[in-house]
Amino acid sequence: MAQLAKIDVVSIEDLQTSEIERIFELADEYSEELARGGQITSAAGLIMATLFYEPSTRTRLSFESAMHRLGGAVISSADMQASSAAKGESLADTVRVVSSYADLIVLRHPHDGAARVAADYASCPVLNAGDGSREHPTQTLCDLYILRRKKGHLKGLTVALCGDLKFGRTVHSLIYALARFGANIVAVPTAGMDVPRYVLERLASERNYSFSTVTMDELKGLAGGLDALYLTPSAPHQMALFTGDEDIRQIPSAEPPAALDAFYVTRLQKERMTGKEINSSEYVRFDARALKTSRTQAAVVMHPLPRTNELAYELDSDPRAVYFEQAAAGVPVRMALIAWLIENSEPPGRGARAVAVPIRFKGETLPPRCANANCISRFEGAYLRPRFTLARGADSSVLALKCDFCERELKIEFVGHVRSRRYYRYDDTLQGYVRQWIEEGSLAVFESVKQAEESGYEPYKRGPQRDIMKADEVARAVDLLADQMIADLPDLTSVSMVGVISRGAILALRLRDLIESKTKIRPPCAALDVYSPADALNPIDGSDEFNVEGRTVVLIDDVINSGWTVQRAMATIWRRGRPAAVKLAVLIDRGHRAVPIRPNYCGKNIPTSRSERVQVRLAAPDADGKSKANDRVMIYSIVEPLKETEPAS
Amino acid sequence: MSAAPTVVLDAAQLARSLKRIAMEIAERSGDDDNLVLVGIVRRGAKLAERIASELRVDGKRQVPVGTLDISSYRDDGKGSPGDPRLIGRDIPFSLDGKRVVLVDDVLYTGRTVRAALDAISDLGRAESVQLAVLVDRGERELPIRADFVGKNIQAPDGQRVYVRLSEIDGADSVVIGERK
Repeated sequence: MAQLAKIDVVSIEDLQTSEIERIFELADEYSEELARGGQITSAAGLIMATLFYEPSTRTRLSFESAMHRLGGAVISSADMQASSAAKGESLADTVRVVSSYADLIVLRHPHDGAARVAADYASCPVLNAGDGSREHPTQTLCDLYILRRKKGHLKGLTVALCGDLKFGRTVHSLIYALARFGANIVAVPTAGMDVPRYVLERLASERNYSFSTVTMDELKGLAGGLDALYLTPSAPHQMALFTGDEDIRQIPSAEPPAALDAFYVTRLQKERMTGKEINSSEYVRFDARALKTSRTQAAVVMHPLPRTNELAYELDSDPRAVYFEQAAAGVPVRMALIAWLIENSEPPGRGARAVAVPIRFKGETLPPRCANANCISRFEGAYLRPRFTLARGADSSVLALKCDFCERELKIEFVGHVRSRRYYRYDDTLQGYVRQWIEEGSLAVFESVKQAEESGYEPYKRGPQRDIMKADEVARAVDLLADQMIADLPDLTSVSMVGVISRGAILALRLRDLIESKTKIRPPCAALDVYSPADALNPIDGSDEFNVEGRTVVLIDDVINSGWTVQRAMATIWRRGRPAAVKLAVLIDRGHRAVPIRPNYCGKNIPTSRSERVQVRLAAPDADGKSKANDRVMIYSIVEPLKETEPAS
Repeated sequence: MSAAPTVVLDAAQLARSLKRIAMEIAERSGDDDNLVLVGIVRRGAKLAERIASELRVDGKRQVPVGTLDISSYRDDGKGSPGDPRLIGRDIPFSLDGKRVVLVDDVLYTGRTVRAALDAISDLGRAESVQLAVLVDRGERELPIRADFVGKNIQAPDGQRVYVRLSEIDGADSVVIGERK
């Protein structure tokens, strides 16, 4: 019985150019064989499992047909959403189990990067049949295959990509592949549906490749000739130097090419939009007129199907409309891909590809959260820790990390060194150190100074420090806060207190005790960790549970600065239920608010400059009177590494 | 209806309020070209467009406008009292490093704004978010405050503030009336 190599095709980039060419040779052979009606048994005895967490007719049927035509078998689940996923089974567990039933998994999933996760956990190869708005590599193989068959080659072709270039995952895969094969791209997005910046950045940094974008109106002007269109030159635009300040799309291009070779029109991906980003009537409509100019008469029209209204039916009879051939190629191309996996299982097989090593975040240093709200790492629960590699960012004032699942870039402002427990505001003078720390596994990253300090990190260097409140003043301010709360809150029995870890939680317990001694009412108390992704709200008063539903929640923190912490704390509370009201109590308001949030109760306002930090020292709840005498509020300035090296003038 | 609705702002006053909000936004943002507006559907979105057009005409600056669609919670006593939540968005630009001005018609409990802040923080790392509202009617349930306010109104309990805009309602006005 044939076997399959454990080669996962998650992205078109997982296949080398020579491998794609070999797959096309096989596809040609299978096309002929199918036309002859021959019997193929290459995959006899093998089982393919199709796991579709999202509906699809075409992709699924063509995969299943391909496997049957190769003499293999197919198992499938009618609707993944309704089965194990609905019971809360993780993607990792599902693919592990299915790997023991099948020799090959074909996966479609609504979240970005899901196929990478499945590939990591499945013992058999995983083929990505579309994950979120990311990639759809087998569709890209079909697209390239048809282009090559129609035009004889791929290098130097000029392809106009029209319509939804933002959510169209087929388009993102196609862009990477066209760039690799040396074809030219002209992007013609519908307004607001531009190619995402991360795609452009990746092309620029990995392939030194860029392309022009023109508007739909300019495309409509095609009837008058292509002169109005400025297209990339007939070789891919090579940028001598790419700087982050320059908008990639505005990089000037050279003279227009002689002709367009293909139009690739996409469908409006309604299911991937979160709102009514665009009115369907404004979407591209493509008809025969576009093919009538001297520069477009040799162009073929491609579309990944299904179409909605963007392709006129009158085009169907035109020999240049190749979208049905494109769809038909789905079977021989997918047969070829499976056959290629079988080929590679025999020695010598295929060497492992070099991949970037993810950054290790050791022990209690948490990896940051991926910035992409649709990334698989934000849906799969605790087993799937966010994973990042170092990205080649365009902006040198931040550390750019790339999500290993969805490839979205994350910009980090504060970095720390695990052993020395120091944190730094990132700038490019730290680049060498950070690389060394990554190698040693001693890098920590922080979203904010607050997170760094809550994690026990000290600034790299602090300036002079002065006390602004001593123990007695701290005690008076806490007392004032308790009085404000008692006067303002009509019913203390409906109050629940939530302290932000760590000093906010200590403060909450002190306030609770004061309120109890003044009113004989003892509100329930919980601690909230804004940086812990799951289960971040826990009672700290000995009780087993803590309710927010219908309660008046008093949120307590030591210092309010930008206010983003409060926003995150409220988001955590809302995941638990709907409070009747939320009041905010802070010991110190230091200004510099970045969100429209205002405390209801405040112990003291302390105006500060941005480079200053306010640090509150509060003795633990079980401490004796002597340690409480060390309570302090201190202010100090942060000396940033860069400033220190500036010559004195 | 027991009492006739009281007009709080007529069309001219409403226009002046918006102009003033636009001027304050322009003043506070200086020459910063990172300013973007995000309106809350429906009337906040229309107001954001009007503020953008004020900034275009008077301030000679182009400010991108996006929208967030946040459904209001059921306050009719039927069904579960779900909080406002994001049901759609149209923000065709990155919010990274941007100074976002969130625009809504009426600021009341603060729950819609809270949901909007969650949506914005999910979309990227905005430098800051400021809040502009045509009417602040007080009675906050959350620690939310506006940076730019057209008019503060004390509406009696059980009464509602209605903002009417020509794009949606045919004419511009703000009135206080009985809850329908």
